[in-house]
Amino acid sequence: MKSLSLRNNLVGYTFISPFVIGFLIFTLIPAAASLYFSFTDYDLLSAPSWIGLENYTSMFTSDDRYMQSLKVTMLYVFLGVPLRLIFALFVAMILNTTSKAVGLYRTVYYLPSIIGGSVAVSIMWRNLFGDQGVINVMLNAIGIDSVRWFGDPNAALFMLVTLSVWQFGSSMLIFLAGLKNIPTELYEASGVDGAGFFTKFFRITLPMLTPIILFNLIMQLISAFMTFVPAYIISKGEGGPLDGTLLYSLYLFRQAFVFFDMGYASAMAWVMLIIVGVLTAAVFATSKLWVHYETEGGR
Amino acid sequence: MKKQAKKVVLALMASALMLATACGSNAGTNSEAGTNAGTNSGGGDKPITLRMSWWGSETRHEYTKKVIDLYKTKNPNVTIEVEYANYDDYWKKIAPQAAANELPDIMQIDTGYYAQYAGKDQLADLTPFFGKEIDVTNISENALNGGKLGEGVYGMNLGVNSLGFQYDPATLAKAGVDSIPENWSWDDYMSIAAKAKENGIYIDGGMRAEVFFGYYLRTVGKKLYNEAGNGLGYEDDQLFVDFFGKLADLVKSGAAPTPDTLAQIKGVEDDMTVKGTQVGVWQWSNQFVALQQAVNRPMQIAPMLNPGAKEGLYLKPSMFFSISKNSKAKEEAAKFINFFVNDVEANKLILGERGVPVSSVIKDELKPLLSPEQVQVFDYVAWSEENSSPMDPVDPIGAIEVFASLKSVTEQLNYGQISAEDAAKKFRSDAENVLKKNK
Repeated sequence: MKSLSLRNNLVGYTFISPFVIGFLIFTLIPAAASLYFSFTDYDLLSAPSWIGLENYTSMFTSDDRYMQSLKVTMLYVFLGVPLRLIFALFVAMILNTTSKAVGLYRTVYYLPSIIGGSVAVSIMWRNLFGDQGVINVMLNAIGIDSVRWFGDPNAALFMLVTLSVWQFGSSMLIFLAGLKNIPTELYEASGVDGAGFFTKFFRITLPMLTPIILFNLIMQLISAFMTFVPAYIISKGEGGPLDGTLLYSLYLFRQAFVFFDMGYASAMAWVMLIIVGVLTAAVFATSKLWVHYETEGGR
Repeated sequence: MKKQAKKVVLALMASALMLATACGSNAGTNSEAGTNAGTNSGGGDKPITLRMSWWGSETRHEYTKKVIDLYKTKNPNVTIEVEYANYDDYWKKIAPQAAANELPDIMQIDTGYYAQYAGKDQLADLTPFFGKEIDVTNISENALNGGKLGEGVYGMNLGVNSLGFQYDPATLAKAGVDSIPENWSWDDYMSIAAKAKENGIYIDGGMRAEVFFGYYLRTVGKKLYNEAGNGLGYEDDQLFVDFFGKLADLVKSGAAPTPDTLAQIKGVEDDMTVKGTQVGVWQWSNQFVALQQAVNRPMQIAPMLNPGAKEGLYLKPSMFFSISKNSKAKEEAAKFINFFVNDVEANKLILGERGVPVSSVIKDELKPLLSPEQVQVFDYVAWSEENSSPMDPVDPIGAIEVFASLKSVTEQLNYGQISAEDAAKKFRSDAENVLKKNK
């Protein structure tokens, strides 16, 4: 009997082993190693030496560029994520109509997100925002002077934000699914009572969507903090001009692979984990105030 | 039963590991193994496999592979596996290999990264090979010492470069200036810049901060780094203010482009020297040929600014070939390096692409084969040899980070965000922060 249960278990273990082994080799062990390295001075070439909390303290006391990268990232996240969600919801509502070509539209709108993180798109973005790029030509056409998108530190970050807003597809699809789940009776009933479009939107659509908004908000928050490729490509890997596009992950990468300061980079990674964790927890904590679940609606 | 379970788990782990290593192995590796494992053939030489890596452009990859093929025809027992990449990817690949003690036998190393690798005991000292595997009879002491660090030489100098002002005389004429005066001074430079500005032409696109500030410090008898490499080599911040203040004034007055104009330049097609709106570029001599081809008008190289040009100017190794400390075939690697540096046939393929060759014999052999632009470079480097001083010790560990900081403060200065005095102070504190770790 005993051997039979063991054999059963063995089958189970065998089936989960690819995940377990992968998790150990590619996630848990590297994570543990990076935690250890974060307390050391490690340049990849010689053995790490223990320096305690020095990486963490120097980050906040003597590294202006670190603070700059934190500032840039916060700006990027708090500007980009809400804009992206609003835009995604806007498009989702348009696509939630009953046109025949709606399937095609959905695909078309989702495309930027599939290719979004890629190098090619970032290069295209660089060209769009160039001195004689499409964006400046359009600005000129409506009587606005050209903007030096790569030369002006604030404009450069704004350019990255627009790129992130443009890649709204995945949150849009989730919004779309959420919109489909809102019972049409609610709209019909409110229509009978004389509610207009805005009343319907703010009294029915938004409250019903809040769980979806919460989900999207958290997912986008996390992925925004990890943005790397566009900043790397657009600023040619340096985060310029004047460190205006020095996103956190870009600075981390530079510390690790350009300056060979793996210990410092590891410490940065752990601080980022804490920041993202705290923000996520904060969003969850406030969610009680604004997220409505249908199941508890009666209570 | 338990034993069996263990076996299964072990087998699974092994296969997973194999998968992992397969994924991790290098896609860019071009193995040329197996073609000539002719055991016991010829003089009974043992078959030897070397790994070799470099960074560069497509042209460099092509001719380097041809050089390797040529070497193989002469040394059939040697197989060379090659790994190459562009500059940025190269260093990202090399660093983890170093961490895993798996550096290639022969690898190309840049001066900026040199101390990082040589100082951390990753590279073999080449001095025991000089005069044996590596023939140095036609190579000057000065050229060899370009790779000197402490007591050893950890990299074979592959070619030399020299700094100068590479300009287009036609644009200079448009700027209302007939010619650049011999032994020109900072005052000449500033007045030519002012005249160019009046005619709507930029003088240059700025001077790369770390290279030219180093030059400027040399002209007044100082160095960018101190002897020990744990601090800056100058005490008076006024030097910084003088040098970068002057350059910032050019930007402010409109004689040189602003940083936001420069940021728009994506490639050669936007280059202002090519377009004829800028007189020239301050840069290394090996970059002249490409620039001249893009400009497609006759160009000239003017020497560096006086006073102190002779003290300031130096011949710099363009790059090194180093042998990794862990290599099991150091002598064989040294023989290949010798071939690369001293073989005439090989250098007819290389054609000075890695800088003007260090061997005087090779230099003479190549002369008749060169294009006119290449001859200009060879001549300028030959002139520099007579009119320069020995170069500073190699950049200390952390140099790359110091460069980044210098670039950032000078950028702020050129944007008009800080004064030259504040930039000088900020650079000093940033740089010393990085360099003090070398103590």
